[in-house]
Amino acid sequence: MTKLNWKIIAVALAMVGVAVYPLAHGDMYIMHIFILFFIWSTVASNWNLLMGVAGITSLGNIGFLAVGGYMSGILAKQFGWSPWGCMILGGVAAMVLVTLLVGLPALRLSGIYIALLSLIFADSLPTILTQTRTITGGAMGLHDIPPFFEGMTRMQAYYIVFVFFMAMHAMIWWIIHSSTGLAFVALRDSREFASALGVSEYREKIKVFAMVSFMTGLSGGFYVHYLGDISPTTLGIEPFLLTIAMMELGGIGTFMGPVLGAAIIVFGNEFLRLAGTLRLAILGGLICATILFFPGGFIQLIGWIDNRLSRGRKNER
Amino acid sequence: MTLQPTETILELRDVDTHYGELQVLRQVSLNIKRGEVVALFGPNGHGKSTLLKAISGIHPPSAGSIYFDETEISSAASDRIVEMGVAYIPEARHIFSEMTVLENLRLGAYNRRARKKVNQNLDFVFSLFPRLEERKTQMAATLSGGESRMLAVGRGLMSDARLILIDEPSIGLSPLMKTAVFGAIQRIKTSTNISMLVVEQEVDYAKAVADRVYLLKKGQVVLERAAGDINKEEIEKAYF
Amino acid sequence: MRCIIKELINAFVSGTISGSLYALMALGLTIVYGVTHIFNFGHGIVAVSGGYFTWLFISRAGMGLIPATVVAVAVMFVIGLILYRTTLNPLLNTENWEFSVIIFLLGLGILWENLLLQTFGPRVKDIPKFLSGRFKLGFVRINYHEIALIVIVILSVVVLNFILKKTWFGQAMRAVAQDMDGARIVGINLKRTFGVAFALATAVTGFSGVLLATKYYMTPHIGWDWMVKGFVIVVFGGLGSATGAVYAAFILGLAEAVITLYLGSMWVWPIWFFMFLIILLIRPQGLMGGRTL
Repeated sequence: MTKLNWKIIAVALAMVGVAVYPLAHGDMYIMHIFILFFIWSTVASNWNLLMGVAGITSLGNIGFLAVGGYMSGILAKQFGWSPWGCMILGGVAAMVLVTLLVGLPALRLSGIYIALLSLIFADSLPTILTQTRTITGGAMGLHDIPPFFEGMTRMQAYYIVFVFFMAMHAMIWWIIHSSTGLAFVALRDSREFASALGVSEYREKIKVFAMVSFMTGLSGGFYVHYLGDISPTTLGIEPFLLTIAMMELGGIGTFMGPVLGAAIIVFGNEFLRLAGTLRLAILGGLICATILFFPGGFIQLIGWIDNRLSRGRKNER
Repeated sequence: MTLQPTETILELRDVDTHYGELQVLRQVSLNIKRGEVVALFGPNGHGKSTLLKAISGIHPPSAGSIYFDETEISSAASDRIVEMGVAYIPEARHIFSEMTVLENLRLGAYNRRARKKVNQNLDFVFSLFPRLEERKTQMAATLSGGESRMLAVGRGLMSDARLILIDEPSIGLSPLMKTAVFGAIQRIKTSTNISMLVVEQEVDYAKAVADRVYLLKKGQVVLERAAGDINKEEIEKAYF
Repeated sequence: MRCIIKELINAFVSGTISGSLYALMALGLTIVYGVTHIFNFGHGIVAVSGGYFTWLFISRAGMGLIPATVVAVAVMFVIGLILYRTTLNPLLNTENWEFSVIIFLLGLGILWENLLLQTFGPRVKDIPKFLSGRFKLGFVRINYHEIALIVIVILSVVVLNFILKKTWFGQAMRAVAQDMDGARIVGINLKRTFGVAFALATAVTGFSGVLLATKYYMTPHIGWDWMVKGFVIVVFGGLGSATGAVYAAFILGLAEAVITLYLGSMWVWPIWFFMFLIILLIRPQGLMGGRTL
């Protein structure tokens, strides 16, 4: 008789709930929030793959999204190509650009360099965007980006992005449990031994970096073809902080953590908006408080609850 | 068993230390008297360095107690222990490579007690190691292996310590340097009342300088003798 | 042709001045990194705060420029000390501290920046210059103020050098920067040294912020720009090396001034990004790679 894990049940129920929601209730606004959740959760989970699993302190992931999104939007608008192809090209562009300019130079050095380089990279993008107004729309950004297909309804968009969300997370799950993921566990436990076994830290990091930049760029594509616009404000401090908060609040290094965190942040953003100009202060404070007092995030909390419950159950016997 | 309070400067009672789950020291008890030089022998990896780290506060014991001058230091912070008069000179010299020899020595006198006697102790160190005085304005990184070992010992002396813990002072040195280092240890012994606990593999050198010896095997004290009462064969046998 | 040379020389002068200001700010970063290995991602906001506190004391408490600056710097020192002891020190003892500290300081920096915004408002604030008036040396235009700035920076560096090499505490910081184990062996208390180093760096950075604010302008967000430049400078100079940071600051300050002359000030960020990229590709350990305080 296997003990049913309440966490797995909860996740399964949630997935079913999310899958049938449009048919069951289908409120336009709530579906919109869900779609945003799918996209940002993918970005956060990818970012977490870099930071929490591979131990790469990258600070520029929003930049990856922007590169992918802009590329896809520009291709679709200028050449009229199918958004599906554009999105993939966007992902590839992000992967190539970022891995060449940021990953290759910095990953062979210690952690701080990649943090700095990725940060400056993301910081320079708005300037490049504003200076290339003719292609990128400058400070106003790109608008009227074609959706996934003509006449797309919100419910259709919902399911498309939902499938994307599931596919990306399955991919991330696979990466974590593949030889690459194991390589990082080995490197964390004992670097010398792992190197002796032939694990090349640099090569594994480049692999993960390339995959994450591709997936994040791809998310950028889904972002622009759903929302229809993108502008340099996406590269601002607020999306950056929000995504970091998703990872920290959820639980960095875990699989479900960023997903949970994204849910909290995306759905909680409404309340955050009420705070007006204090938004950023609250976000910053939240991140600091989480790091100081609850570094494992919500997943840590859940684990703690789980512990109490199983202890209680043991006592009953 | 009572010990003469004024005679013993260091006492360990049933000290255990662990690195995580791994136990390194088991029930180690030993003592050192004022002005005594005690040698610590034993196979590599059996806890000799760990013992010194326990005493100096760098890796405190998980059980048992350590008394320095009748004050318990088992859980004291390492800078406090230095302040009280214990100097630790590890095998890896840890000298400040981008400072001059003189700056290194002066830093040895960082603790408050030693600051008042900087010049006095500096004279003593230079008399022990004239080479250091010759090179006093040179960067520590330019010193040879033996010279940097001398600097490490000299720096330890600058702390005005009453107990010096030295981990393998002669390791990796040429025979000439080994003689020089042990000569210095001998001079410290005869001209001061500083007690020393010396971990060494060079049994002959150490035996010549020491008053008593302990042998540590698998983290336990298996032998304790006056230096004159033991010979090399007996020690080597105890190693295996 | 003569016009271009004139412009170039003026750019050189301007670059030297900004280079010296960057140098002081980079020293703040270097002191923290060298001693504690913490990379202060809140560095920018610390600099700006120095400026804002000074402005506060001038306009609300009616102090003169110099007393206000002195008090502001002292306040920054205390804040740095408290910040270190209450938050950073416990964080340093966790596993993965490098990462947690970066994110923590980023979050804290943004929180603080926002609070500054709430308190002082987004409009540009001014700090009066030390001296007024300007003169021309041939075709070179300089203000007295800018000369005063260079003199102040030189004096500050001399004072810092004295503190580091001639005081027990300064030597302790150097010792910790060069060999932490060695420092422990001679009886230096690491926690206390980290704390004072952090506080000192905060004070120096805050002071540099006051100077920068007198030359440029001041809004809560400008700290971010200064900080990113500071990062490139310390990497170029060689992480942990104070002399490296000073040289790098001048070189990059000059480069920025000259390139801005030709490309215009919009391209500042991509320029710094490429300078950084090139450094990482060619010589990641920087000018004085491997050396420390």
